[in-house]
This record gives sequence, C-alpha cells and structure tokens, in this order.
Amino acid sequence: MIELQKVKKCYGERTVLDIESLHIGAGEIAAFAGANGSGKTTLLRLLSGVEKASEGKITIPAEILYMPQQCYAFRGNLIKNITLGSGDKAAAMRLLEALELSALAEKPASSLSGGELQRLALCRLLARECKVLLLDEPTSACDARGEQLVMQAVREYQKAHSCTVLMTTHSPVIAAQGCDRLVILNSGNIEADGVPREVLMHPETAWAKSFIARWKIEC
Amino acid sequence: MDSIRQAFELLFSFDKELWQIIGVTMRMSFFSTTISCLIGLPLGALLGTKQFKAKSFIKKTVHTLMGLPPVVAGLLVYTLFTHYGPFGKLNLLFTVEVMVIAQVVLITPIVIGLSSSFIEGSSKPVIETARGLRLSKSKTLFLCISEGRTSLFSVVLSAFGRSIAEVGAVSIVGGNIQWKTRVMTTAIMLETNKGKFSFALALGIILLLIAFIVNALASFIVKDKKA
Repeated sequence: MIELQKVKKCYGERTVLDIESLHIGAGEIAAFAGANGSGKTTLLRLLSGVEKASEGKITIPAEILYMPQQCYAFRGNLIKNITLGSGDKAAAMRLLEALELSALAEKPASSLSGGELQRLALCRLLARECKVLLLDEPTSACDARGEQLVMQAVREYQKAHSCTVLMTTHSPVIAAQGCDRLVILNSGNIEADGVPREVLMHPETAWAKSFIARWKIEC
Repeated sequence: MDSIRQAFELLFSFDKELWQIIGVTMRMSFFSTTISCLIGLPLGALLGTKQFKAKSFIKKTVHTLMGLPPVVAGLLVYTLFTHYGPFGKLNLLFTVEVMVIAQVVLITPIVIGLSSSFIEGSSKPVIETARGLRLSKSKTLFLCISEGRTSLFSVVLSAFGRSIAEVGAVSIVGGNIQWKTRVMTTAIMLETNKGKFSFALALGIILLLIAFIVNALASFIVKDKKA
C-alpha cells in the first residue's frame, strides 16, 4: 500500500530522514513518534508530496489528504471553512457535531483556540474522501476530551472509507490505544516498529527504552 | 489658508472646466488602475505562488520596472503612438486613451511586484492546506488571492494613488490640452508655470481631497464586505 525504499531527505549537509525500508499495509492506523527533529514531520511531508525526497523511492496512492502541523483557518465561518464554497453543508454540520464544534458553526474560524482549530482542520479533511489520511500531530493543542474526539472521528472515518491513516504524535495514549502500529524515529532512522503495546512494553534498543521511559514520565 | 478657501470656492463654484478636469482625472485613473490590476494581480499571484527557473530574473525585472521614471514610460508610449510609430495609424496620441496606456505601462509592474510580495509572504500555509485537501490549482490560486485580499486591496489603492498623482507620462502623451486631456496634475503644473501658486495649491488640495474620498469609500466597501 505505502512503500518507502532507501528514502533520504537532506537539507544541505544535514540528513533529517534516512529510512532503509518501510511498508504500511492498507487500512492500518500507524503512529510515528520520536523527539523533536526526529523526522516525523519530514516523513509526512514527503508522503504528502509537499516536499520531495533527496533519494529513494516512495510508493503511495494518489488519493491523499494531509493535515499539516500548523493548521490554517480560511476566512469565514466554520461551515465555509469545511465546504470551501462547494461542499455539503449538512455533512459539514454533522462533522462539527461529532467534534463538538457545532455551537461555533457560524463563528469566524479566526476566533478559534488552537485545539478547536485542529478539530476544524480535521473536519475539513474528513468531509472529503481519500485512501490515505496523513495527520501531523493532530492533537498537539487538544485537551484530553479533544484528543478523544479526534481519535474517535479518525477511527470512524477509517472504518467507513477503509483508508490507511498515518499520524505523528507525542501522545503515548494515542499511540497505545488508538493505533495498530507504532514506529519510533530517532534522528531520521527507524528505532522501533511494531504493535504499540509490544513496542512500549518491550523496546528493542537501549535508545528506544530510554525514550519510552521519558515519554511515559512526561505524560 | 487662502489656498484652502480658494480650493473650496473653486469646488462649489461649479466651474465647468474644473469639473471637466476632475472628470478626465477620475476616468483616466479608474481605467488605468482597473486594467493594471486585471493584468497585474493574476501575474503577481502566479509569481508569488509558483516556483520556476526564471523566477528570480523576472522578479528583478519587475522590481526594476517598479522604479521606471514616468517620463521614460511617457516617451516610450509616445514613440509607439506617434504618427510614424508602429501604432501611429490608431491616432491615439493626445487622447485620454493613450494616457491610460502610458499609466498601465507605469502601474502594472507596481501591481505585479507588490502583489507577488504580499502573496509570497502569506500564501505558504494556504498552499500547503489546499494541497493537503487536494484542491485544484485554480482553486488554490483563488484561495491565495481571497486570503490576501486586504493586502491586495492596499496594492489596488497604491496603484490608484500612483495613477491620480502622475504627471510626467500623461503630460508627454496627453499634451495637457484644454477641455480634452488636461488632468489635475497637468493643470497644477500649468498654473505653477504661470506663477499662479495659490490657485495651483488650491488644485492640489482638491486632488488630495479626491484621493481621500476615493480611499475612504473603497475602505468602507471592503469593511462592509468583510462584515
């Protein structure tokens, strides 16, 4: 479904991503975790086509939807932000209800908080169809309730469309409870990869072990 | 103070020639601004959002043309439309139409340069979001323009300001002909040359008043639309 072979991304002398091989199966929900600068966002930007790999081959279906880390609110209210002038307003309203934003539907999107804006950006994506959903830290500004709503909406969308979901996260809760697979990145390389519970309980390398230990304490 | 009093007396005396000059000024400024924006805004949007090999060269050229001296633009258009020039047969020299053309030559690079800078600065998150939503290129371009419309509105007003205040090019191609191609700026120049400084200053005050009213009206319309 999604295949990366010897993929490298360099900015000048600095290599920010170096993946020998990675395969994500159809319908999987995979989380990518790692410290800041580990290459999570770069990986999603390469998969989305926003940036090009310096080397290697990426195979991915064309029907991708991508939510960048910095969410952007277009002018106008929340409904307009989802439909962008041509979509189904009733469907947009249902999504806003699912993400507990319906009370703000007619408000200007510029008035939203960070967490609300992330939920709106997700609504905008979920109003469309795709085969691959790429989410760059979709809950970084959300509270616990917001995180729960986002994951619930993503899972429902994944079931309805049988799509593959790839997300980056700093939340072990999302990684452990919301995903089928957890990939931990360190300085652009894959440090651990497997079923979240296994990766979290039995990390293979010393670095992964210390990262997961710090991760659990922080959360 | 005498000039201010004279300016209002002139305005409310409903002097036919003055109102004809104001009419020509407004017609010329409106058409040259509109045409420049119709050409310049889409080109500025393309220059601000697209990456291509010659981009740096084109940007430098546009920035150079933004500083094009009005008399040079006037001379260029004069050469093109003079009797022996390539467009001489059109008989447009010393008409308002050729004054509009000269102003379009002057203003379009300003519109392209300013709009591309504004769009380049603000379009990155818009493009990335639009790309993430798999929106078409035309829809993305539309969103870039729509999201930066407040800045682009400033570009339109700058273009209008340049147009209404311009004197060098329009005097060369228009000839400052009474009842035909005389505009506020060329009238001010004429009155100054005649030594009627107070009258020239009064005309200048009227010109400023017109620019202020147009800006205020345009701002009101945009504010109303935003609401």
